Order: sequence, then C-alpha cells, then structure tokens
Amino acid sequence: MGATLTYTEVELIQGLLAREEKIFTYLYDHYSPALYGVALKVVGEEAAAGDVLQEVFVKIWRNIDRYDPSKGRLFTWMLNITRNTAIDSLRSKNHKLDQRIQDVNSASLVYEPQLAVHLSVDHLGLSKVIEQLQKDQRIIIDMAYFKGHTQEEIAKSLEIPLGTVKTRMRNAIIQLRTLLKQL
Amino acid sequence: MDVQRYISSGILESYVFGMLPEAERSEVEAIVGQYPDVKAAVNSLQLDKERFVQLYAVSPPSAIKDKLTEIIRQENTLEGNEKLPEDLRIPSHQPPGEKKKPVKEAVIKQLPVARKKDDRKWKIMTAAIVILLIGSVLLNFFFFQKSTDYKSRYKSLIATKEKLEAEKQREALTSVHSPAAPVIDPLSDPAFKWTTIQGAGLFRGKTVAVGWNAGTQAVYLQARLMPAPPAGKQFQLWAIINKKLVDEGVFETGAEAAQVLQQMKPLAAAQGFAVTLEKAGGNSQPSMDQVCMSAKIAM
Repeated sequence: MGATLTYTEVELIQGLLAREEKIFTYLYDHYSPALYGVALKVVGEEAAAGDVLQEVFVKIWRNIDRYDPSKGRLFTWMLNITRNTAIDSLRSKNHKLDQRIQDVNSASLVYEPQLAVHLSVDHLGLSKVIEQLQKDQRIIIDMAYFKGHTQEEIAKSLEIPLGTVKTRMRNAIIQLRTLLKQL
Repeated sequence: MDVQRYISSGILESYVFGMLPEAERSEVEAIVGQYPDVKAAVNSLQLDKERFVQLYAVSPPSAIKDKLTEIIRQENTLEGNEKLPEDLRIPSHQPPGEKKKPVKEAVIKQLPVARKKDDRKWKIMTAAIVILLIGSVLLNFFFFQKSTDYKSRYKSLIATKEKLEAEKQREALTSVHSPAAPVIDPLSDPAFKWTTIQGAGLFRGKTVAVGWNAGTQAVYLQARLMPAPPAGKQFQLWAIINKKLVDEGVFETGAEAAQVLQQMKPLAAAQGFAVTLEKAGGNSQPSMDQVCMSAKIAM
C-alpha cells in the first residue's frame, strides 16, 4: 500500500477496466479487511471466508464492467458481491456447519488493530457500538445483513408482524448511525 | 408520492441491508432513479452500511493476496484459469477473457420455495381476475339481450293496450249512436215495461225513462231530460231489489244523449230504480247522499 498514493473511485474503476495490476493491488489492500470481515461474519469460519474473499476479488476483477455507479459507490458494489457470495457459500451443501461452530468462531471477530491501520474505528469503538445497539436491533441487522434472511423469515423467526420488520430495521439503522457518529 | 413518508417507512433501510425480495428491490431502484431525495437517503444509508461493516474488518491471511495476484497475472492462460474456484473458471472451449461468466452479484438469491409460492399466488390471482372479467362480459351480454327483449315486449304491450282502448272507444260511440238492435225496438215492444223516474230537489223536472223486459231481462235507459254531469262525475242507474240498490251501470246524459236508448245491465227482478251521481266510471256501491231520483216500477 503506497503511503501517499490514493485513487478516486473513478480512477479505480478505470484502472480496473484497463487491467492495471497496481490498481487491483491497491483495491485489495484497502478493501480486503472489510470484505473479509463480512465474509467471516456470514460463513463463520476462516477457511471458507478466505475462499469467499478470493472468489469475490476475481469477480470484481472480471466484472468491473458490470458495475453500475447509479446504484451506489464502488465499495457498496463490492460489499454486495461479498455478501451474496458468502451467503451462497453458506447455503451450499458444503457449508452445512453446525451453528455452534459459528458461535465459537465469533471470537475471531475480535478486532485486530495492527492489521487494519487504515480504519478509523478502533477496538473500543466496535465493542462500544455493538454494546450500545439494543439486542433486538442487533439481531435484526445480523439476520438481515449477515444471514441474508428475508423480511418474511425475520418476521416469522422474531414473531413480529411483517410491517414491524421494516420499522424496526429503520430504528436499528438510525440508532446505529447515531452511535457511529459518536466514534 | 410522499417522498418523506416513503423515506421514513423503513423500506430504504431494508433495501440497503439486502432484506427485500427481488420485486420490491427493483421497485425501490426505480423510485431512486426518479426522486433525488430518495437517492440521497439511499446513498447516506449505504455510507452507514460501509461504516458499519468496517467495524467487523479483519485482515485476511496474506496467502490470499499472493494467490489472487497470481490469478490475475495468468488470467489469460490455462494455468491461471485452473487456479480459479470451479464456478469462476472459463469453459475450456471458449477463448479466455473474451466472454465473462455472468455473475449473480447484485441478486440476493431468494429461497426457491418462497419464490415459487409467490409466483403461484400471482398466477392464481391473475387467473381469478381473468375469470371474473370473462364472467362479467358474459353477464353484460346476457343482461343486455334481456333488457332489449323486455323493451320490445313492453312496446308491443303498449301498442296492444292502445289498440284495445281505441276499439273500446269506437264501440262505445257506436252503441251511443245506434243503440238498439234493428230488430228490437224497446219503445214500441209491449214486452218492455217503461218506468219514468222523476227528479227531486236539485233535479226537480228532470226525467229518465227505464225500459225493462222481464222476459229477456234486457234493460234500456233514455235520459230524456238530464243535464250533463259535472266534470269527473257520471250518473249511475241502480235497480232496487228488496230495498237494496244493485248496480245497473252508468249512462250518458246531456242534449246529445236525450234521444238515445242506452243498454244497461240485465236485470232479473226489481221493485224500482234509482239514479245517483257518482264518480266517472261508476261505483260498486251507491253513494246514498247523491241519490238524484228514484221510482217504483208500476206493477
């Protein structure tokens, strides 16, 4: 990672389209911790998360011409690819892992500051945010985002009306936003 | 659309965090393209999400980076292709790099069961709507036919009624102008017993003659000196049978009718006659306060 070298999103996209290896390396250095974190949270174990991450970057490299800026930033696009790849992987029969393994592995989600210096959030930040997010709001974000459950599934599993899922999701995000601002 | 209400409904949060089924997702995307405020809200939510997932950031094992670098360097070679996860490999018969494998990226897979169920629901609803529509068209046609039928029947009924009325009128006139059958002349026929009924009170000086043939039971009336009745009224003849008045029918009066023999209802036996003023067309029961005149039949 070049200390002073930064690229705008447009430069990144053009670089990828031009098949520039240094842009790919830059992209990997900057985004792989976040994407790996999502993959790990979804699939729950490191080996599978590593496979997902590798697949994600190959997809980004190969499908950059499919990226549609009107639907969101490049990072959002990469996050979507990561989440969907990870959820697909989780659902595939190769990953019928016992739920308990995931719970054990959630210990690996403890932040590793020396490996992600570019992030502004520190270790205390994560625990602070997660702690302060109310339990039912945390659950709804987890189920929706990291486990890929639909509203129907969430409504059913939390035994709340379908309409409440959206409102509760909104409240969770509003609270999350406030907490993130305090960091 | 109420943009603020839409933004605060929670649908955008659900969209950004990938909770929406495919149909709702494309709906949101259409609205995002239309309303800048919604787009801004979505952007800000995406930033929230980006910050949120950073909380979980973990540096991946360095071996992955090496492997990826190798893959993209050898991307256009067979070896590079072999290093890819199976479902990302370019099929060997295809020139590498030319056509990319379509990626499922933005599509969050719905569980197939849920989608099927949804599909089915829509299919059933569509079928129901189509059936209802066809039924409604058929009913419309049916009722239209019926109403046309009723209309024509109604018209023909009216026509028949008018015809009947016209005939009745003509008959009535005929009976007035040629009252007696040519063979019978009640005035000169001795079988007829004539009774002259004299008016009293208001009708003093007025007379009506009634001829009755006890054999044939025929009754004729001649309103010799009777005024035309007030508007809406008509004179009615009654036979007095055992002190009861029995309807003999209404009759015409006035100058035009003075010389005319009017046939009344047949009568088997009677002790006298009376005349009352009734509403036009006559009454089934006599109005006793309207008796104008009465007379006994001379035995």
